[in-house]
Amino acid sequence: MIDDELWSAIGDPTRRRMLDLLLAGSGGTATSLSDQLPVTRQAVAKHLAVLDRVGLVHSTPSGRERRYTVDEAQLARAVAQMASVSEAWDGRLQRIKRIAETIQRNRTN
Amino acid sequence: MDGMSRSIEREIRVEASPEVVYEVVSSPEHLREWWPDDADLEPVAGATGTVSFGDTLVVALTVVEADPPRRFSFRWDYEGEVATAANSLLVTFDLIPSDGGTLLRFAETGYDEAAKPDEVYHDHVSGWDYFLPRLAPYVDRLAARP
Repeated sequence: MIDDELWSAIGDPTRRRMLDLLLAGSGGTATSLSDQLPVTRQAVAKHLAVLDRVGLVHSTPSGRERRYTVDEAQLARAVAQMASVSEAWDGRLQRIKRIAETIQRNRTN
Repeated sequence: MDGMSRSIEREIRVEASPEVVYEVVSSPEHLREWWPDDADLEPVAGATGTVSFGDTLVVALTVVEADPPRRFSFRWDYEGEVATAANSLLVTFDLIPSDGGTLLRFAETGYDEAAKPDEVYHDHVSGWDYFLPRLAPYVDRLAARP
Protein backbone atom coordinates (compact mmCIF):
# COMPACT_ATOMS: atom_id res chain seq x y z
CA MET A 1 0.00 0.00 0.00
CA ILE A 2 1.05 3.55 -0.72
CA ASP A 3 1.39 5.95 2.16
CA ASP A 4 -0.19 9.07 0.63
CA GLU A 5 1.62 11.62 2.73
CA LEU A 6 5.00 10.02 2.31
CA TRP A 7 4.27 9.67 -1.38
CA SER A 8 3.45 13.33 -1.90
CA ALA A 9 6.37 14.43 0.27
CA ILE A 10 8.89 12.66 -1.91
CA GLY A 11 6.94 13.23 -5.13
CA ASP A 12 7.87 16.90 -5.37
CA PRO A 13 10.94 17.57 -7.55
CA THR A 14 12.28 20.36 -5.33
CA ARG A 15 12.01 18.18 -2.23
CA ARG A 16 13.75 15.34 -4.01
CA ARG A 17 16.56 17.72 -4.95
CA MET A 18 16.75 18.82 -1.31
CA LEU A 19 17.04 15.22 -0.13
CA ASP A 20 19.74 14.71 -2.69
CA LEU A 21 21.69 17.72 -1.37
CA LEU A 22 21.20 16.66 2.25
CA LEU A 23 22.52 13.18 1.45
CA ALA A 24 25.49 14.56 -0.48
CA GLY A 25 26.39 17.10 2.17
CA SER A 26 25.62 14.95 5.21
CA GLY A 27 22.89 17.34 6.24
CA GLY A 28 22.24 21.05 5.93
CA THR A 29 20.22 24.06 7.05
CA ALA A 30 17.45 26.00 5.29
CA THR A 31 20.06 28.62 4.47
CA SER A 32 22.65 26.22 3.08
CA LEU A 33 19.99 24.51 0.96
CA SER A 34 18.55 27.75 -0.41
CA ASP A 35 22.08 28.75 -1.43
CA GLN A 36 22.17 25.70 -3.69
CA LEU A 37 18.62 25.93 -5.05
CA PRO A 38 16.73 28.49 -7.13
CA VAL A 39 14.14 28.92 -4.38
CA THR A 40 13.94 31.21 -1.36
CA ARG A 41 15.00 30.22 2.12
CA GLN A 42 11.36 30.56 3.12
CA ALA A 43 10.27 28.06 0.45
CA VAL A 44 13.02 25.69 1.54
CA ALA A 45 11.83 25.95 5.14
CA LYS A 46 8.30 24.99 4.06
CA HIS A 47 9.60 22.00 2.12
CA LEU A 48 11.70 20.95 5.11
CA ALA A 49 8.60 21.06 7.29
CA VAL A 50 6.82 18.69 4.90
CA LEU A 51 9.78 16.30 4.91
CA ASP A 52 10.01 16.53 8.70
CA ARG A 53 6.29 15.75 9.14
CA VAL A 54 6.59 12.44 7.29
CA GLY A 55 9.84 11.53 9.03
CA LEU A 56 12.13 11.83 6.02
CA VAL A 57 14.38 14.32 7.82
CA HIS A 58 15.22 15.04 11.44
CA SER A 59 16.54 18.31 12.81
CA THR A 60 18.79 19.45 15.63
CA PRO A 61 19.49 23.03 16.74
CA SER A 62 22.54 24.55 15.08
CA GLY A 63 23.27 28.13 16.12
CA ARG A 64 20.27 30.23 15.14
CA GLU A 65 19.06 27.62 12.68
CA ARG A 66 18.22 23.93 12.64
CA ARG A 67 20.39 21.39 10.95
CA TYR A 68 18.53 18.71 8.97
CA THR A 69 19.65 15.19 8.17
CA VAL A 70 17.94 12.48 6.13
CA ASP A 71 16.31 9.53 7.87
CA GLU A 72 17.75 6.80 5.68
CA ALA A 73 15.35 4.08 6.78
CA GLN A 74 12.31 6.22 6.05
CA LEU A 75 13.78 7.26 2.71
CA ALA A 76 14.36 3.63 1.79
CA ARG A 77 10.74 2.95 2.63
CA ALA A 78 9.52 5.78 0.39
CA VAL A 79 11.78 4.70 -2.44
CA ALA A 80 10.54 1.11 -2.12
CA GLN A 81 6.94 2.33 -2.52
CA MET A 82 7.88 4.31 -5.61
CA ALA A 83 9.81 1.37 -7.02
CA SER A 84 6.91 -1.03 -6.58
CA VAL A 85 4.61 1.25 -8.58
CA SER A 86 7.24 1.52 -11.31
CA GLU A 87 7.67 -2.25 -11.37
CA ALA A 88 3.92 -2.72 -11.74
CA TRP A 89 4.00 -0.56 -14.88
CA ASP A 90 7.04 -2.41 -16.18
CA GLY A 91 5.03 -5.62 -15.96
CA ARG A 92 2.06 -4.07 -17.75
CA LEU A 93 4.25 -2.69 -20.53
CA GLN A 94 5.83 -6.11 -21.05
CA ARG A 95 2.35 -7.59 -21.38
CA ILE A 96 1.36 -4.89 -23.89
CA LYS A 97 4.46 -5.73 -25.91
CA ARG A 98 3.74 -9.46 -25.87
CA ILE A 99 0.06 -9.07 -26.82
CA ALA A 100 0.79 -6.60 -29.66
CA GLU A 101 3.59 -8.75 -31.08
CA THR A 102 1.39 -11.86 -31.01
CA ILE A 103 -1.38 -10.03 -32.89
CA GLN A 104 1.13 -8.71 -35.42
CA ARG A 105 2.60 -12.18 -36.03
CA ASN A 106 -0.86 -13.68 -36.53
CA ARG A 107 -1.74 -10.96 -39.04
CA THR A 108 1.41 -11.27 -41.11
CA ASN A 109 1.53 -15.07 -41.19
CA MET B 1 -2.41 16.59 1.66
CA ASP B 2 -0.99 18.11 -1.48
CA GLY B 3 -1.59 15.30 -3.91
CA MET B 4 0.19 12.24 -5.13
CA SER B 5 2.73 13.68 -7.46
CA ARG B 6 5.04 11.33 -9.21
CA SER B 7 6.48 10.62 -12.56
CA ILE B 8 7.23 7.30 -14.20
CA GLU B 9 8.62 7.28 -17.71
CA ARG B 10 9.47 4.31 -19.87
CA GLU B 11 10.29 3.57 -23.48
CA ILE B 12 10.06 0.14 -25.04
CA ARG B 13 10.27 -1.18 -28.58
CA VAL B 14 7.41 -3.32 -29.82
CA GLU B 15 7.67 -5.45 -32.97
CA ALA B 16 4.20 -4.52 -34.14
CA SER B 17 2.73 -1.62 -36.09
CA PRO B 18 1.54 1.49 -34.23
CA GLU B 19 -2.02 0.56 -35.29
CA VAL B 20 -1.78 -2.78 -33.47
CA VAL B 21 -0.12 -1.28 -30.39
CA TYR B 22 -2.79 1.42 -30.26
CA GLU B 23 -5.51 -1.24 -30.21
CA VAL B 24 -3.77 -3.04 -27.36
CA VAL B 25 -3.33 0.03 -25.16
CA SER B 26 -6.80 1.48 -25.75
CA SER B 27 -9.46 -1.17 -26.36
CA PRO B 28 -11.27 -2.61 -23.32
CA GLU B 29 -10.83 -6.23 -24.40
CA HIS B 30 -7.06 -5.81 -24.61
CA LEU B 31 -6.88 -3.67 -21.48
CA ARG B 32 -8.26 -6.65 -19.58
CA GLU B 33 -5.38 -8.74 -20.86
CA TRP B 34 -2.62 -6.52 -19.54
CA TRP B 35 -4.06 -4.56 -16.63
CA PRO B 36 -7.38 -4.70 -14.79
CA ASP B 37 -9.69 -7.66 -14.34
CA ASP B 38 -12.36 -5.70 -16.10
CA ALA B 39 -12.54 -2.47 -18.10
CA ASP B 40 -15.63 -0.48 -18.96
CA LEU B 41 -14.46 2.20 -21.30
CA GLU B 42 -14.99 3.72 -24.69
CA PRO B 43 -11.66 4.79 -26.17
CA VAL B 44 -12.76 8.24 -27.29
CA ALA B 45 -11.66 11.60 -25.89
CA GLY B 46 -13.80 12.77 -22.98
CA ALA B 47 -15.36 9.36 -22.31
CA THR B 48 -15.51 8.26 -18.71
CA GLY B 49 -15.30 4.67 -17.57
CA THR B 50 -13.83 2.37 -14.99
CA VAL B 51 -11.19 -0.26 -14.51
CA SER B 52 -11.94 -2.91 -11.89
CA PHE B 53 -9.67 -5.09 -9.83
CA GLY B 54 -11.34 -8.07 -8.21
CA ASP B 55 -14.91 -7.60 -7.05
CA THR B 56 -14.41 -4.60 -4.85
CA LEU B 57 -11.94 -2.13 -6.32
CA VAL B 58 -13.43 0.01 -9.07
CA VAL B 59 -11.34 2.93 -10.26
CA ALA B 60 -12.58 5.87 -12.32
CA LEU B 61 -10.93 6.74 -15.58
CA THR B 62 -11.42 9.53 -18.14
CA VAL B 63 -9.99 9.42 -21.65
CA VAL B 64 -8.05 12.61 -22.39
CA GLU B 65 -6.71 12.01 -25.89
CA ALA B 66 -7.59 9.28 -28.38
CA ASP B 67 -5.58 9.91 -31.52
CA PRO B 68 -4.96 6.60 -33.31
CA PRO B 69 -2.36 5.42 -33.97
CA ARG B 70 -0.27 8.12 -32.31
CA ARG B 71 -1.41 8.82 -28.79
CA PHE B 72 -3.76 7.49 -26.14
CA SER B 73 -3.94 9.17 -22.76
CA PHE B 74 -6.23 9.05 -19.76
CA ARG B 75 -6.60 10.30 -16.21
CA TRP B 76 -7.34 7.84 -13.47
CA ASP B 77 -7.29 7.21 -9.77
CA TYR B 78 -9.47 10.17 -8.74
CA GLU B 79 -12.36 10.74 -6.42
CA GLY B 80 -15.35 12.80 -7.41
CA GLU B 81 -17.12 13.27 -10.70
CA VAL B 82 -14.53 14.99 -12.83
CA ALA B 83 -10.87 14.14 -13.38
CA THR B 84 -8.64 17.19 -13.19
CA ALA B 85 -4.93 17.86 -13.16
CA ALA B 86 -5.21 18.37 -9.41
CA ASN B 87 -6.91 15.11 -8.44
CA SER B 88 -5.73 12.41 -10.80
CA LEU B 89 -2.79 10.69 -12.43
CA LEU B 90 -2.21 11.21 -16.15
CA VAL B 91 -1.15 8.17 -18.17
CA THR B 92 0.10 8.76 -21.71
CA PHE B 93 1.06 6.26 -24.40
CA ASP B 94 2.90 7.81 -27.35
CA LEU B 95 3.45 5.54 -30.35
CA ILE B 96 6.28 6.38 -32.72
CA PRO B 97 6.77 4.34 -35.93
CA SER B 98 10.26 2.86 -35.97
CA ASP B 99 11.75 0.40 -38.50
CA GLY B 100 8.50 -1.43 -39.13
CA GLY B 101 7.75 -1.57 -35.42
CA THR B 102 6.77 0.90 -32.75
CA LEU B 103 8.58 2.85 -30.11
CA LEU B 104 6.17 2.95 -27.18
CA ARG B 105 6.71 5.88 -24.82
CA PHE B 106 4.89 5.58 -21.56
CA ALA B 107 4.48 8.20 -18.85
CA GLU B 108 2.46 8.37 -15.68
CA THR B 109 2.59 11.75 -13.98
CA GLY B 110 1.01 13.19 -10.89
CA TYR B 111 -0.47 16.64 -10.70
CA ASP B 112 2.77 18.24 -9.68
CA GLU B 113 4.59 17.45 -12.88
CA ALA B 114 1.48 17.86 -15.01
CA ALA B 115 0.60 21.25 -13.59
CA LYS B 116 4.08 22.71 -13.63
CA PRO B 117 5.73 22.01 -16.99
CA ASP B 118 8.19 24.86 -16.40
CA GLU B 119 9.44 23.25 -13.20
CA VAL B 120 13.13 24.10 -13.05
CA TYR B 121 14.27 20.59 -12.28
CA HIS B 122 11.70 18.80 -14.37
CA ASP B 123 14.13 17.52 -16.98
CA HIS B 124 16.77 16.35 -14.60
CA VAL B 125 15.30 15.53 -11.29
CA SER B 126 11.66 14.58 -11.64
CA GLY B 127 12.37 11.24 -13.29
CA TRP B 128 12.87 8.37 -10.93
CA ASP B 129 15.27 6.86 -13.41
CA TYR B 130 17.54 9.75 -12.53
CA PHE B 131 16.83 9.93 -8.87
CA LEU B 132 16.81 6.30 -7.81
CA PRO B 133 20.40 5.49 -8.80
CA ARG B 134 21.63 8.49 -6.85
CA LEU B 135 20.27 7.21 -3.60
CA ALA B 136 22.90 4.53 -3.20
CA PRO B 137 23.39 2.48 -1.11
CA TYR B 138 19.76 2.18 0.01
CA VAL B 139 18.54 1.66 -3.49
CA ASP B 140 21.19 -0.92 -4.29
CA ARG B 141 19.81 -2.95 -1.45
CA LEU B 142 16.26 -2.55 -2.77
CA ALA B 143 17.24 -3.26 -6.35
CA ALA B 144 18.91 -6.50 -5.24
CA ARG B 145 15.54 -7.91 -4.33
CA PRO B 146 14.13 -10.38 -6.86
